[in-house]
Amino acid sequence: MKLDIVHDLQSVYRKLVDSTSRPGLITDLGKEAALLDGENETGCSHSLLLLALTLLDPEVTFKVFSANADRAEKELNQLTFAKTAEADQADYLFILDDAEEGSLEDAIQRANPGTYLNPHKSAVIIAETGAIRDGDHLVLKGPGIQTSTPVNVEMDGNWIRRREEKNKEYPVGVDLIFVDQNNQLLSLPRTTQVTEKRVVMNEWVM
Amino acid sequence: MMNTAYNFAFFDEGSKREIRRATLKAIAIPGYQVPFASREMPIGRGWGTGGLQLTLALIGKKDVLKVIDQGSDESVNAVSIKKLVSDTTGVQLTESASEATIIQSRHRIPEVPLKKEQILVLQVPLPEPLRYFEPSEHETKKLHAEKEYSGAWLMLFEQIMKYGSMTTGADHPVMVHDRYVMAPSPIPRFDNHKMDENEALILLGAGREKKVYAVPPFTKIVSLDFEDYPFEGESFEGKCCRLCGSEGVFLDELIDEGTGETYYQCNDTGYCYEVLNKAEKAGVN
Repeated sequence: MKLDIVHDLQSVYRKLVDSTSRPGLITDLGKEAALLDGENETGCSHSLLLLALTLLDPEVTFKVFSANADRAEKELNQLTFAKTAEADQADYLFILDDAEEGSLEDAIQRANPGTYLNPHKSAVIIAETGAIRDGDHLVLKGPGIQTSTPVNVEMDGNWIRRREEKNKEYPVGVDLIFVDQNNQLLSLPRTTQVTEKRVVMNEWVM
Repeated sequence: MMNTAYNFAFFDEGSKREIRRATLKAIAIPGYQVPFASREMPIGRGWGTGGLQLTLALIGKKDVLKVIDQGSDESVNAVSIKKLVSDTTGVQLTESASEATIIQSRHRIPEVPLKKEQILVLQVPLPEPLRYFEPSEHETKKLHAEKEYSGAWLMLFEQIMKYGSMTTGADHPVMVHDRYVMAPSPIPRFDNHKMDENEALILLGAGREKKVYAVPPFTKIVSLDFEDYPFEGESFEGKCCRLCGSEGVFLDELIDEGTGETYYQCNDTGYCYEVLNKAEKAGVN
């Protein structure tokens, strides 16, 4: 593998730290992802594989949501020795872009949110999404953000509401990490409040 | 030069991964103490191993490291930690707070305001702010879970009843993001306000107690106090550093044994040097 598991994964980790401590900050895993060209047999995107290599080992469990989940799970297990688990038990849930529609919502609903005593035992959901870029479709607020910060994530479905329901009893909740095809990374820890900017419909104007 | 007999950043990759996972959880739950394995280190537990482990899990070849021990770049503890990190990583070291990308510190937040590209790693001896009145870890975890912090206020109230004011010299407990009461590590009260809405990420590590916790940038930090007994930092009004003349910084009180005279000096030596060097360049002295 051209990827250096010491230095390149350190760099992935630092970007993950940057994005998680400043939700809305989009970091670019492009440089590290390019090193996986021709060597990624998992069916996951390069950036998702980078995150798996950074976070997984035999001490944690994971589950993949994908049309080819078995293949991805087998490959990730062989690369990291992490074991698979059911969605409500797993420490890391990976949602690939070929997963059934509604998989992200399903994962959010089923994921382990931790307990009041041990909120750190909650799951992290890592999902492949449509383009992540600057924009003002979503407005983020919370720790790590000075006042509020706008961002665009191309993704349908009512994941925002599901996430809000799941995280309403802070500190229990789940943390989300999104990556897109261009290796852009966005992290939404449980403390981040996401609001969708809705298009105001004029038909109600009397 | 890096000593290649060791892994990069001393640890094996498995150890780093474990610390990294705990750190990410800590950032996601500001102020909550995340347990971690706390590996054996070549320095004693209680000598900064928590901070050191966070630093080693973070550091990359391009980082610039500053280590301070109670404001000083040159004390034994700071020098040993710096040597260990630089021997196993080969990273550049600095004494300038503004040049560093990672600042590991014991008991101080630098005088120069932190920037967003920086990470401050604080060494923590006792991460549990409720330990003073509750010896059981099982119980303090429950108190945090239930946000039951009357004991923390009662502790401060008792100090006021006994001594007329809150007597926490350092490590005055703070409320993080309106949820967790947190020990800010034994920084002087003077530094508490620097944590509030800080631009940089602050990570706190307790090696002996096996806990890591974090304050993300722009997070609300409130020092615990009462309406009629507001929290106050140490005041150095009317005093200045005898070397660089700085005012409004944390000063050490020193006594000249020969003359018996009391004088003051910057506690943050890196800051003091910078002020002196700037003045020299400008031709003031």
